[in-house]
Amino acid sequence: MLARSQTCATRSYASPTSWLLQKKISAFYLLALLCLSPLAHAFDLQQLSDQLAKPVVVRGDFIQEKHLRALPQPLISKGHFVLAKEFGLLWLLSSPLKQDYRISPAGIARRDAANGWQLLPNKSAGAEQNRLFLAVLQGDSSGLQRDFDLQLKGDAKAWQLTLTPRSMLLQQVFKQINIDGGQLVQRIELLETQGDSTLLKMIDSQSVPALSDAERKDFAD
Amino acid sequence: MQIERLLPRLFLILLLAVLALAGWQWRDGAPLSANLMELVPGTSPDPLELRAEQRMQEPLNREMLVLVGHTDRQQAIALAKQLGEQWQASGLFEKVQWNLQADLPALRTQLLQGRLAMLPAADRAQLLNDPQAFVQQRVQSLFDPFTGFSLVPSQDDWLGLTGRIQNGMPQHGAVQPDIGSGALIADADGKSWVLLRARTQGNAFDMQLPLHVADLLSAARQQAAQANGQLLAASGLLYAADGQRQASREITWVGGGATVGILLLLLLAFRRWRVLLAFVPVLVGMLFGAVTCVAFFGHMHVMTLVLGSSLIGVAVDYPLHYLSKSWSLKPWRSWPALRLTLPGLSLSLATSCIGYLALAWTPFPALTQIAVFSAAGLVGAYLTAVCLLPALLNNTELRPAQWPLDLAERMLACREALLRRVNTPILLALLLMFCAAGLWQLTTKNDIRQWVSAPAALTDEARTIARITGFQPTSQFFLVRGKDQQQLLERQAALTQRLDPLVGLEELKGYLSLNQLATSAAEQSAVREALGQLAKHWQPLINVGVPAAALQAELTQLQALPPQDISAVLAGPLGEPWRTLWLGETEDGVAGLVSLQGLNDPALLRLQAQDLPGVQLVDRLGQLNSVFAATQISAAELKLLSCVLIVLLLVAPFGFGGALRIVALPLLAALCSLASLGWLGQPLTLFSLFGLLLVTAISVDYAILMREQIGGAAVSLLGTLLAAVTTWLSFGLLAVSGTPAISNFGLSVSLGLAFSFMLAPWAASRRKPESEVAS
Repeated sequence: MLARSQTCATRSYASPTSWLLQKKISAFYLLALLCLSPLAHAFDLQQLSDQLAKPVVVRGDFIQEKHLRALPQPLISKGHFVLAKEFGLLWLLSSPLKQDYRISPAGIARRDAANGWQLLPNKSAGAEQNRLFLAVLQGDSSGLQRDFDLQLKGDAKAWQLTLTPRSMLLQQVFKQINIDGGQLVQRIELLETQGDSTLLKMIDSQSVPALSDAERKDFAD
Repeated sequence: MQIERLLPRLFLILLLAVLALAGWQWRDGAPLSANLMELVPGTSPDPLELRAEQRMQEPLNREMLVLVGHTDRQQAIALAKQLGEQWQASGLFEKVQWNLQADLPALRTQLLQGRLAMLPAADRAQLLNDPQAFVQQRVQSLFDPFTGFSLVPSQDDWLGLTGRIQNGMPQHGAVQPDIGSGALIADADGKSWVLLRARTQGNAFDMQLPLHVADLLSAARQQAAQANGQLLAASGLLYAADGQRQASREITWVGGGATVGILLLLLLAFRRWRVLLAFVPVLVGMLFGAVTCVAFFGHMHVMTLVLGSSLIGVAVDYPLHYLSKSWSLKPWRSWPALRLTLPGLSLSLATSCIGYLALAWTPFPALTQIAVFSAAGLVGAYLTAVCLLPALLNNTELRPAQWPLDLAERMLACREALLRRVNTPILLALLLMFCAAGLWQLTTKNDIRQWVSAPAALTDEARTIARITGFQPTSQFFLVRGKDQQQLLERQAALTQRLDPLVGLEELKGYLSLNQLATSAAEQSAVREALGQLAKHWQPLINVGVPAAALQAELTQLQALPPQDISAVLAGPLGEPWRTLWLGETEDGVAGLVSLQGLNDPALLRLQAQDLPGVQLVDRLGQLNSVFAATQISAAELKLLSCVLIVLLLVAPFGFGGALRIVALPLLAALCSLASLGWLGQPLTLFSLFGLLLVTAISVDYAILMREQIGGAAVSLLGTLLAAVTTWLSFGLLAVSGTPAISNFGLSVSLGLAFSFMLAPWAASRRKPESEVAS
């Protein structure tokens, strides 16, 4: 028995519930991925993914509205974003507070005034999302289709994509996710099961051929 | 003549009584046990420590961890799902889990209720010392799109305490939930591995269960292989199943091999079918041994059976004592032959019993069982040989084959020829040189792992699972006591403060400790107080739009939260991983455990517990190994003591000089065996030492046979040879056992027997050749 216990890995692994806590189901994250995702589902989904996969770099401003049931007014934040096909996403929050974030294959990092980019802990907990992120970047959309039912309406200039979670687990968290756009993604709405919702508006998004030097530096550090 | 009729009848009555007792003992099935822990010394007389050990081992003996691997993630999930359903339906398992079935409402309730009691230490410190930063972080997290999903909606927890509790949960290996299916998945070696946990109804020491589980697993392996998948499994149950299979295989081989060999030998030597009756004492001996063992210990361990099956070879020596006289006694009659050999037979029983019972005084329950089994078995065999067998052979006339006697005579002639060239003192000197050189090369090795024949396939799989999942539980853990929960948590905090640097240095992968989850009443009231002061600092939250009234209402609610004790915190779904660690009330307070993961250097742990009151490292493995080493010394002392006893016993029939000579030869044989182990490059283990302890007792028997020389030197040597060969047939076969401890035992007994036989002729006194002529 004692000899066994050295090699045998049966005990003291975490309970499922604490895993769930570790697991940060960052809805926004999924959606950010989607902006790049070449979806290969049906003819029109394929078109949409080809369309979204075209731009090398997209940059623009965003407004995030958090609608909480208990608040008469939503919590509003604003900022600027840069989405680079090769590198990832920069999310630069400017109001009501200044805070920069970066998503790259290495994980999620936050800029610290003193120390520069700091990789957020729980990297291993975010590993699956990173995997998903990369899978999507590389054109493998099986990840999203596995977890969501996808429905596409409209045409290339004005479309709406609806994501409904398939699994019980996700259904306990999200009711539905709506993404609207034309040439680029314009609006993402996330409806939580408990009644709160988050609305992300991408304003003045532009497709550009390359990153600026400053942006390149932000991805490189 | 009267007594020759009476004895068999009395004995048959006794035998019937023992049979009845055996029947009663087996009324509910075989009273067998496979629990290895019953065989190792109970090093901790402390009942709390014992309870802690049982608590830590229980999952090992009931749970099985399986990884279902496939290159395709979806296939792996599908396979795991199928397997989970099949196993659940099998009825063997209490619970089979392959995905998360998180009860979110219960989680939310616990998080909200535990906002004071479960706040992590770092966040407590920030709240107390830097409330401004505490508020600022909360503002940030409200707008941070990447903090991720919080179980509790912001409106129920504006201050973000539940989010901090969520983030404070310790990391758990490389396994991630698949957000779609809820399956727990790790990616490694180009495959996705779905984790499946199965908890059985009974435990590994239930004799049938491990075999059922192992069968189920191998069926599942085949099923997975057909779908190009792969299964990896780790569980104490699998080791138990393997151990049981091996034990029954070895009992068959050792017992069967010895039986066939001995029967063949009897037939070849005595050329009468009836002589096979000499095996009756063996059977009766086994019966006596088993019944006595169960009577003493309530059950018998399978390891006792394996080692006990070697008793066959010793038990058959009793009838051989007088059967072998058929070469000199002509015509041979059973009762007269018995009367002639009875004193030697009785001495032999006494010396063997002394040898076996010396084993009983070692602190090893395993050996105590074997000693009791063997001593009782020998008494049974002796009684049969003395009371029953002569009656059964009453009308048999033995006309044994001539060749064994010729062989013995040739051996003696060779010895004489050798002695003419080189005399005894020179031979002795050479032998001692051989011994000295051998002993010089002898190494010792003591490890509990020798008791288990861990098959490489099983340990490899367990290692692979540990690598893939990152779960590397260690056998060591800390036991922490306190006079109340407050003190317990403080002491655990002091300990974990020392463990954290080890985790940082990667000497330790991680730990689980109650103070990670629960805080003491004093800390809870400190948090409550600090929250009361927070209103002065929460303006930034109001600035971004959080209503002041909502904050105030939340504060009132927080202040009213009742303090939670450890049991209350553990009761919620978040408490699951920690539940085994809470021992609850003890005689003098409360106690809890700290379990460890992925340890590099056990010596470091000992340092951590130093001068921390109430903290104790429980390292059963290390403790046992040191007990092993200590026992080696006491075993040697026991050996000498048993020799003294045997000398005392032999002084009456043989005189002091004769007794010394008879005992010195087996000791010399033991020394030669030790040296041979050295020459063979085999380590000296506790078990080989026990083997030698035993062989001393058996070989005293040979020396007595040679000393008495009833029927002449050649006949005596032949008797010794037969006895040695039969004993060797049973013990020597143990050497092929897959369990290192047993095979070590077999090897050292084999060596000892060989040397005892070779040295036995020197037991005869110089004047004896005349008596040889006389016969």
